[in-house]
Amino acid sequence: MSADGKITPSSLSIKDLHWQIDWNKDTCTLCGQCTAVCPVKAIELGVFRKRHVETPMGLSGKVTNRFSIFYGIRQKSEPKHACIGCAMCSQVCPNDAIIPRRSDEADKQRYHMDQGGQPMKRGGRRKAEGPGILDRIKFTRISMLTDPALDAGRHEFEIKTLLGRVLPPKEQIQRHLKGEWAPPVREIYPLVIGGMSFGALSPTMWEGLQMGVTYLNEEMGMPVRICTGEGGCPPRLLRSEFLKYTILQVASGYFGWDEIIHAIPEMKVDPCAIEIKYGQGAKPGDGGLLMWHKVNKLIAAIRGVPTGVSLPSPPTHQTQYSIEESVAKMIQSMSMAWGFRVPVYPKISASSTSLAVLNNLTRNPYAACLAIDGEDGGTGAAYNVSMNHMGHPIASSLRDCYKTLVEIGMENELPLAAGGGIGKNGNLAANAASLIMLGASMVQTGKYVMQAAAGCVGSESDRCNVCNLGICPKGITSQDPRLYRRLDPEHVAQRVVDMYVSFDTELKKIIAPLGRSTSLPIGMSDALGIDDRDAAERLDIKYMV
Amino acid sequence: MTSKMKITIHGKEEGTRISSRLLEAKIQKAVTTGYRHIDVVALGQHGIAGRLHEAGDDPVYVKITGSCGQRTGSMGFPNTTIEIMGPASDDIGWLNAGAEIIVHGNASNGAANAMAQGRISVAGNLGARGMTMTKENPRFEPPELWVLGSTGDYFGEFMAGGTAVVCGWQPQNEENVLGYRPLVGMVGGRVFFRGPIKGYSQGDAIMVSISDDEWSWLSENLKAFLKRVGKDEAYTKLVRRDDWQMIVARTPQEKMRVSSRSMASFHREVWDAELGKGGLIGDLSDLDMSHIPVITTGNMRRFVPVWENQKYLPPCQGACPSGIPVQDRWALVRNGLVDEAVELALNYTPFPATVCGYLCPNPCMAACTKQSAFMPSIDIKQLGKASIAATAPAVPEVSGKKVAVIGGGPAGISVAWQLRMAGHDPIVYDTAPTLGGKIAAVIPESRIPKEVLDAELSRIGEVLPHIHLQQPLTAMEMERMKGDHDFIVVAAGAQRPRMLNIPGKERLLTGNAFLADAKANMAKPGKKVVIIGAGNSACDAATEAMRCGADEVTLIDIQAPAAFGEEREAAEKAGATFKWPCFTREITEKGVLLEDGELLAADTVILSIGDVADADFLPRSVTIAQNGYVSVDENGQTTDPSIFAIGDITGLGLITAAIGAGRRASETIDAISKGKRPAGRDSRDVIDKERMTLAYFDPRLTVFEDLEKCGSECSSCGSCRDCGLCATLCPKEAIERSETGQPASPFEYVVRADRCIGCGFCADACPCGVWTLITNTPIG
Repeated sequence: MSADGKITPSSLSIKDLHWQIDWNKDTCTLCGQCTAVCPVKAIELGVFRKRHVETPMGLSGKVTNRFSIFYGIRQKSEPKHACIGCAMCSQVCPNDAIIPRRSDEADKQRYHMDQGGQPMKRGGRRKAEGPGILDRIKFTRISMLTDPALDAGRHEFEIKTLLGRVLPPKEQIQRHLKGEWAPPVREIYPLVIGGMSFGALSPTMWEGLQMGVTYLNEEMGMPVRICTGEGGCPPRLLRSEFLKYTILQVASGYFGWDEIIHAIPEMKVDPCAIEIKYGQGAKPGDGGLLMWHKVNKLIAAIRGVPTGVSLPSPPTHQTQYSIEESVAKMIQSMSMAWGFRVPVYPKISASSTSLAVLNNLTRNPYAACLAIDGEDGGTGAAYNVSMNHMGHPIASSLRDCYKTLVEIGMENELPLAAGGGIGKNGNLAANAASLIMLGASMVQTGKYVMQAAAGCVGSESDRCNVCNLGICPKGITSQDPRLYRRLDPEHVAQRVVDMYVSFDTELKKIIAPLGRSTSLPIGMSDALGIDDRDAAERLDIKYMV
Repeated sequence: MTSKMKITIHGKEEGTRISSRLLEAKIQKAVTTGYRHIDVVALGQHGIAGRLHEAGDDPVYVKITGSCGQRTGSMGFPNTTIEIMGPASDDIGWLNAGAEIIVHGNASNGAANAMAQGRISVAGNLGARGMTMTKENPRFEPPELWVLGSTGDYFGEFMAGGTAVVCGWQPQNEENVLGYRPLVGMVGGRVFFRGPIKGYSQGDAIMVSISDDEWSWLSENLKAFLKRVGKDEAYTKLVRRDDWQMIVARTPQEKMRVSSRSMASFHREVWDAELGKGGLIGDLSDLDMSHIPVITTGNMRRFVPVWENQKYLPPCQGACPSGIPVQDRWALVRNGLVDEAVELALNYTPFPATVCGYLCPNPCMAACTKQSAFMPSIDIKQLGKASIAATAPAVPEVSGKKVAVIGGGPAGISVAWQLRMAGHDPIVYDTAPTLGGKIAAVIPESRIPKEVLDAELSRIGEVLPHIHLQQPLTAMEMERMKGDHDFIVVAAGAQRPRMLNIPGKERLLTGNAFLADAKANMAKPGKKVVIIGAGNSACDAATEAMRCGADEVTLIDIQAPAAFGEEREAAEKAGATFKWPCFTREITEKGVLLEDGELLAADTVILSIGDVADADFLPRSVTIAQNGYVSVDENGQTTDPSIFAIGDITGLGLITAAIGAGRRASETIDAISKGKRPAGRDSRDVIDKERMTLAYFDPRLTVFEDLEKCGSECSSCGSCRDCGLCATLCPKEAIERSETGQPASPFEYVVRADRCIGCGFCADACPCGVWTLITNTPIG
């Protein structure tokens, strides 16, 4: 600040910020790349005046002042220019002269993110560092000699799961013999890429994910599926063979659905399934809003809206008033659209009310699945309070639902999909396997894909997380070609493939010792243990120390 | 004993099968004893004929009849030859370390598992997992497995060395001689085979052609193999080179290579082929989606620098009521053009020395950016004083409008000066014999040296005609004057002193009257003077009273003194004291009697509580506001379009404000007379002080020794000082200075978009705040 500067309550010093830029004068070459790349203009060229007091030894002459100027990189301290820790500066620095470091104490900037009375909004994930329950679960049943132990690297596995209402065998056979309608069931890979919309994601990211998924199907024979999220689906995809790898999502904003309807007569194949989004684990009770500045020509065309308008996805569907109504009405409508050939299922935020929804679905013959999304999921934009303080962990919510199904004897009929923070600490396969053994037929992941397939640098310790601002430094969540062209869809696709292939190996490493190679160990909770007695009791798994 | 001693050992004694341990003991004992030909009649015993090292290098031949058990010949030694006359059980030759093993039948699962040396020849087929985990030790010859028929499933898993030969002779499966999923995890060795197969682990192994050397090895050894297993007759059928194929392990480097289709090829040949060119959104967008670097130039820059030279007003000019481009003058000084700097002022004020150099409180300096860094403002007073040297400009021929200017004070002189410069014909009317108004009449010489004022007035006199009125104008004369002129500008000032309606008020001397007397050296205020009022005029009166002989001057006011700046300082220096709050009740012979009864003794009481306008002589078409001042718009125009009013008659103000009002009125009159819309004030915003960089200036500097120092220390806010710092600092050499060929702005700095990365260094470093970095125009 200037010598005569005055402070306001929101005048912060660099010390008050969450991230501090560590800059090295000796190695900096003043190339300008860090200031050019910084997404929030947190840094600028500093012009520094240095004073030298020349004092002759023995005071043998006059003491004089001399000034010199040097240039360097200076961090700004205003909250709107607060460093987000993305470290793009370090990435582009030719001399490793700059890096953001996290403050050594709780920042003060958090108290000033509500200027104008607007609570803080952001993207990303909730602040929750350290291992979660899923990370602490271990697979304690490792068969060496007792079961037919399998070698993950050598054995052939068929890692597939069922998405759709599975009838009891007797009934299935009867209907088959009588030529009656039976619910559609898809055999898919148990790790599904969860819904991230065209709009929330950049065109290059979206295309890369779809391309990677298609590659896995077409070239690797892995029946991986991806959900569109709520932002419509590009018309070309709707009319392509690849639609079968896609789960179309409908949510409260109904964006792009008229384009989907118009495409139905021209579809070469049915979509994999329809997901009806009622809630998002990362921000239960909070809706979505795609800001007008993101709604460019492309987004507008796909969503079927004019350009430059804000697009709200309200927290609730307007025409639905009760569980019965919501579920029955939506599942019927969506099933009918494809002649009851496509599985339709709702996705809800994990909540203490999850069981009520499940109970309802068990009575609905068209319900294909229940997808439950836990609190550790990610989001493109939400109120900070919704993200940090709303929601329910996935493990216990899923477990309750699975045990209820077991109780009523329907665990083999209504699959559960679990999501929300799978792999948030990098343990994708372990987390997925835990959930599968706790009762999930499949798991959904989004955030992990962003990190693994596109290099998202967001974190649970409040790094980056500016998905809502359209300034994603990796080009993942921006609609600005200057940013999203940093991302090459081919590279994203390749990473999706790498991620899945390695996940596949890891999952095999976990399930092979259980002697499983052709059916997933869904609900095989006797294989699980945790070093926390309360968690063990709550999840009904082994307590082990 | 000779080495050819022969013994038969039975696996069954007295009708009972003996244990593997006992049979092993018997065989080992036989070898130790010296037997070198051992016939074993086996009954399923484990590990027969392995580990016969007690014989040293002596060859030992073991012939097994009956049913051999698992792991026959396991850990076999190079001296050992084992011939099994029927089929072999699991793991034949397990961990074979050199034994020659011949099986005259099939071998079940695990044949040759972990074999490292030696040779196994099987006259039939294999079970599952043959030739798995084999080794190849450079110290020894590699192991060999010969199979006349075919292998079972999972053949060659983790095979790490040796040669397997599968002849495909009467195979168990005619369509597949290597079984299901062979060679998973293969890292070494080779497999010759003859006959069809159903795939193998392509990630681990690779089919290669058989070289001549390899073929000669194979064909030669094939003959020997057939001889060993007693199938010589098959040779001619088996020795056809074209029937044979070979698989070897991929090298680790090969394994790392992606063997599957490249994503680029998939993108092109599968993705775009199905979706169309441009992929998912090729039909919706024609934007280029190709991969770009993080650091970009041209249109791909997120931010672009803009050279905003003189887009904003510098704070000094913005603050100057006369609108003098202070900074331009310093720029001229900096360029060594002091004369031009001095003369430039005359375009804006006829009093560059008197006002800027002496009388003005200098709002330009109060606004100076350098104060924000605790640095002294650039000293305009120096330049003002130097302006005494400015010579009157050559005036154009009179070709415009006739304008009567009422009042020869700073406002009137300013408007007349400007009008004359613009070619109009102004005439100044004033009741005083000389021009100058209050500057000349009442402001003490201590504040404005006579020679300075006289010089400037004389310069003005060269240009402006002046009519000395003998008495104040009347309304009727005004009407007549209006008829004789195109415009009238009223600049009559505020001449009438504000009075106090108190007893004894007739004893009061007005401040203006006293100052005029004092200036004429005719004032005799006595020893004690009380001045009612404590503004700047009152301070002037106090200073003058002291100069004229008083030794005790008290300024009283009902509130804290309003005086500031030089006037107050001068009064205080002269010894005047301030007293407040004082409420005057009466002026008596003895002095001032206050409401609280205190008497302030005084020989002279001077009233200096301000002057009010006297607008009685103006025609009715000119509206007078309730406060007694003439109502005007921002250009000085009154409600009568042909009459303008400027200066104190429109409200009390600084001299510089009166000068500025005169210039604006002149510009307006000029515009109207030319049928143009009046330009109004400079509408540019004043530059944000944050834009300038003051680090370049010496923070310990307190005084500027001369004009040059002033000029060099000026931060040239918003106006390029052509230092070239931006071009030098630009990391990408993207800024160029170019000559424009236009005298008004002879140079400019231009950004080369093809080199600029939008780092903003230029904007951050510019001392003048000329550069700014803006967000690039959105795409899409």
